[in-house]
Amino acid sequence: MSPFACAWVPFFAVAAFERSEPALVERPVIVVRGHGAATRVVEASAAAREHGIAPGMTEAEARARCPLLVARAWCDERVASARHALLEAALTVSPRIEDGGPGIVHLDTAGLGGLVGDTHAIVDRLLRQVRAVGLRACVGVAASRTAARLAAQAGTRVTIVPPGGERTFLAAVPLAALELSADLAATFARWGIRTLGELAALPRRSLGDRLGAAGLRAHDASLGVDREPFHVYVPEPYWEEAQGLEWEVTLLEPLLGVIERVLTRLCDRLGVVHVSVDGVDLELALASRETHHRTIALAYPTRDVRLIRTLIAVDLEGHPPPAAVVGVTVRARPAVARPTPADLWRPPAPAHRDLAVLLTRLTEMVGADNLGAPSVLDSHHPDAFTLRPFVAHAAVATPGAPDDRHPPPRMMLRRKQPSAAVEVEAADGRPRAVTSDGRWTRVLACAGPWRMSGEWWDTRAWARDEWDVLLSDTRLCRLAHDRLADHWQLIGVYD
Amino acid sequence: MSPGAITELVGHASSGRTSVFTACLRDVTARGALAAFVDTDHVFDPVGAGRAGVELSRVLWVRCGHRLDRALRAVDLLVRCPGFALVGLDTGDVTPRMTLAMAYRLKLAVRRTGTALVVVSGHRVVASGATLAFAARRSHVAWTGPRPAPNRLEAIETALEVMRARARVPELRPGAVHHVRLRA
Repeated sequence: MSPFACAWVPFFAVAAFERSEPALVERPVIVVRGHGAATRVVEASAAAREHGIAPGMTEAEARARCPLLVARAWCDERVASARHALLEAALTVSPRIEDGGPGIVHLDTAGLGGLVGDTHAIVDRLLRQVRAVGLRACVGVAASRTAARLAAQAGTRVTIVPPGGERTFLAAVPLAALELSADLAATFARWGIRTLGELAALPRRSLGDRLGAAGLRAHDASLGVDREPFHVYVPEPYWEEAQGLEWEVTLLEPLLGVIERVLTRLCDRLGVVHVSVDGVDLELALASRETHHRTIALAYPTRDVRLIRTLIAVDLEGHPPPAAVVGVTVRARPAVARPTPADLWRPPAPAHRDLAVLLTRLTEMVGADNLGAPSVLDSHHPDAFTLRPFVAHAAVATPGAPDDRHPPPRMMLRRKQPSAAVEVEAADGRPRAVTSDGRWTRVLACAGPWRMSGEWWDTRAWARDEWDVLLSDTRLCRLAHDRLADHWQLIGVYD
Repeated sequence: MSPGAITELVGHASSGRTSVFTACLRDVTARGALAAFVDTDHVFDPVGAGRAGVELSRVLWVRCGHRLDRALRAVDLLVRCPGFALVGLDTGDVTPRMTLAMAYRLKLAVRRTGTALVVVSGHRVVASGATLAFAARRSHVAWTGPRPAPNRLEAIETALEVMRARARVPELRPGAVHHVRLRA
């Protein structure tokens, strides 16, 4: 039994439209892209090609050739749906399949003999399953994936290449079946190469010297040799649970009860495969025929139903649905949970659950921009800091033995945010009096200037002189004279 | 600073109260514990705090947009979350008195979680809810540099006077004064 089969759906974009609109079958159909006069044909059905319509043609030219033509605009979603449908159909035949691109799927048929039957039985089953999802495929069976694909594209419904007969079969296949680049195809045409057999007869080393990797790949394909490993297609898990309601829910508490039941089902599924989530998408169907979307980001991967329910409750308190709810859908974004062992030498940190709820409530209260762990940026600018997300178990150096030495505390500045503009009376370049509210305050002592500048290579260049001044109202302040804008600012008060 | 209790640090501008609180922040984060700072008027200086030895990644900074009501609600949430060794509240320039109910609510919360709550303000706001209260007063400003016109601020000296202490510790008897030198 040959180990590989290939299912190929010709004119796949058209087939995707015919799958969703069965009335289009047997009619001349084109799929177009672009607008106005620039609209081009990207795919044409077999019936359309009989009228001389080919990809690359303008829609106007295609309609001139076939007045009964049906045109559809390209739709990514339809093509993607058809592609997934083809892969799912192949998965019902073999657990090891490979996505070969739009309309192409390779199947590893090794070991299926005992389950399904001989090669003909496998092919029949594959054709039946593909037809069941609304597509019509051609199937090729051969000892390699490349040979199986070329066999599927040979023009007949089913082509089975007997074991050891690949070279003989491929020798008669036209070179155009390889879909080579225009340059390479022109080179082979100049050399008089028309079929894969003629290409396979060329010396491999000389072909590599002249045409490089592309020439070697073409030579391998002409021999039916697979150089690429078999990439097994694994369908993405569908982490979604939904529940429709027979009544309209207007209050938050009953709604949270429904959400909790949906979450429990979802988290049970996640628990079976030991997966946690780091985000949840909530979609509420409203009685007004609209939907209310909320995305809840979790501080750490979890599948704790109570925690996620609490976070959803906090979020919905701040952003309630505008109408009564008639349906709940919860989608989970799975993430790998890596356990973090506690550090024996560090005081206990808040529990993940408590911290997540706390941060969510604080974010609702003050906004995400005003919450986090401060972080100093790599700059000489005194205001060069930012806020990063607060993590209880931040990767910082573990403290060693307790240090009994207490270095003397340092003077701190109470910053004015934003810096307050002040008027300064200066003598000999040193501040003598300061006013901010129309009231002058005498400077008793001052130190400076501390000249600072930076980012002169950028549009955000800054340069200023800073002064420490003791005012007659007992305040000890830091002033800055912006040398670029020539004005004074009160940076803060030492406290 | 006392775990499971409320400590007040009061004083006028340039009295040294913020520097004393930052020293508490440094000691807490240096031993690996977490701290939170509720900042009503955005007065915190992360660059200076980093230079003073505060491990900034262990500090949760909550900026309240000049809204004292938000600051109080944030403190109320923070002191109920076990795991923060220190929660600081800077009430900003305008300091209204806290209601007695609110003060006792915070007092019970910190007693349960073992969190040390430090309130930095212009005058006392927690009243009898505080276990410790200090009044900061600047006593001296030291300048340095070549004479006769010194050109560098070297340090300030702050006198911390105990205003209220529930604990029977001789060093913390009301009226006792502790001097702290804060270098620039």
